[in-house]
Amino acid sequence: MDDQACPRCKTTKYRNPSLKLMVNVCGHTLCESCVDLLFLKGSGACPECMVPLRRNNFRVQLFEDPMVEKEVDIRRRILRDYNKREEDFASLAEYNDYLEEIEDIVYNLCNNIEIIETNKRIEAYKRDNREVIQRNKTRVGRDEYALEEMLELEKVQEEAPEKQREEEKQLPPPKPANEFSTGIKFGQTADPSLLPVPKSEEGPLFVYEPLVPFSEGPTMPPTSEIVSRGYIAHIRAETPQENAGGFTSALACERALQEALQGLYYTATTGVVSAT
Amino acid sequence: MYTVSSQKRSWTFANEGQLMDFRVEQNSKYIELHEEEAQGRDLNEHFLTSAEERLLLKQYEIYLFDFCRRFEPPMPKCVVGTAFHYFKRFYLNNSPMDYHPKEILATCVFVACKVEEFNVSINQFVNNIKGDRNKATDIVLSNELLLIGQLNYYLTIHNPFRPIEGFLIDIKTRSNMQNPDRLRPHIDSFLDSTYYSDACLLHTPSQIALAAVLHAASREQENLDSYVTDLLFVSAREKLPGLIDAVRKIRIMVKQYQQPDREKVKAIEKKLDKCRNQANNPDSELYKERLRRLYTDEDDMPAEDASFHIADVSSDTSAMNISQ
Repeated sequence: MDDQACPRCKTTKYRNPSLKLMVNVCGHTLCESCVDLLFLKGSGACPECMVPLRRNNFRVQLFEDPMVEKEVDIRRRILRDYNKREEDFASLAEYNDYLEEIEDIVYNLCNNIEIIETNKRIEAYKRDNREVIQRNKTRVGRDEYALEEMLELEKVQEEAPEKQREEEKQLPPPKPANEFSTGIKFGQTADPSLLPVPKSEEGPLFVYEPLVPFSEGPTMPPTSEIVSRGYIAHIRAETPQENAGGFTSALACERALQEALQGLYYTATTGVVSAT
Repeated sequence: MYTVSSQKRSWTFANEGQLMDFRVEQNSKYIELHEEEAQGRDLNEHFLTSAEERLLLKQYEIYLFDFCRRFEPPMPKCVVGTAFHYFKRFYLNNSPMDYHPKEILATCVFVACKVEEFNVSINQFVNNIKGDRNKATDIVLSNELLLIGQLNYYLTIHNPFRPIEGFLIDIKTRSNMQNPDRLRPHIDSFLDSTYYSDACLLHTPSQIALAAVLHAASREQENLDSYVTDLLFVSAREKLPGLIDAVRKIRIMVKQYQQPDREKVKAIEKKLDKCRNQANNPDSELYKERLRRLYTDEDDMPAEDASFHIADVSSDTSAMNISQ
């Protein structure tokens, strides 16, 4: 799957996502651009098996395996002649023998077994059953006629919405949007009557300085020890409401300790010069 | 954080002498300004001396504490502490002759209630004041901004109550003292008496708290010296003398406190009625006139129609008598 490649120019689906592989009756693939190049004159030889090919017979490859394509091609050609139906036979067994014969022929042609023999068999069959073939062909035509009728009916049904669509086309095309829903035009620059926003002069960049708490007292026990050393046992547990607000008892405990310890080293040296 | 607070920066002083200087300065400033009111009499006769002012304020500190204690609904301790701070700070920059302490007292408590998030409305508040409630409302509300301005808008007060809790937690955790909670009654009474001293203007709240804890321990015949030396100051022995000095000073201050003599205070109050700044006396004509001008200037309406409580008040001098 991932390396669907043209055997001639080696382009892959990966390198050219729009790559289109084509196949002809011989069952060898070529990419679209190679087909264009090689079959400029309308006919040429397959670069792999040298079978003469016509450009018209190139089809887009539907199946990954080109052999399947070849078989589909052959089967279509054979069934054009081998078009008998069950009611043309006396018994089911005979019809089954007939179907098996078709499969044999298709298999032989696909795998290049006894091609000449098989072609002779087809010719013989064509000669022997010319009338039946011709008759069945017209019957197919009748079937097709019935199909066509059905298609016609469908078309009539589809026409109604189409009319509506045409009516819509009559309406003037919507104005191309050139403004926002607020009424401001696209790409409009600032109103010249407004003063330009004064550019603030950028000072030096902010430099983070970590906060060093100045406690002027004994050092606090670290937060982790509030619980582990049992400080927390001596304070009221927080209520669920307080907990929801983030005010845990550890926080309150820490604050009380902090306030107790800070300022203990304070000694009045100069004091305050003026009270106001 | 107390260490980076305005309380430490602007309102913690070096020694009592410094406080005394401020008070004397305010006293002489007032006398200088109002000298002609003495009408030739001896200045010391007419005006209060600085010592008399101190005595008067001490008496009003007692009134302040009683007012807070009887306050309904009961107020938390921190409101009382904060109100005392405001009261002391206000009279460092003002003379009681300029603003009568009974008016400032109520205003201090009112502002403290707000700052400490003890929610009482002004109506609830004045219900605790005997006398004319409308007048009291006016006085409190009109002095509120004055007080805040005189405090230089530094309203956050670090009280020693949280440090007390911190010390008790620490003692319970690290020392082997039995049942430290029995110290609490002594601690509370010690802190109550620090209100009457100038300790809160001279020492940090944690030092006051530690002094209270140590005082309470000695009352309970416990010794917490080893807790202080071996646990608190183990890493900074050189700081220990400073703390011991501070604790000693606080305890002496509390011990030396003497209630002012009632008779003397009565005489001082009589003297004050004569020498107080009439422009700030809500009963005086000068005050009413000043207020009337204030109102008419603002609203451009004739003075006769101005309807404010002050003008209607009879000469009811008992309005703010919280003490009796």
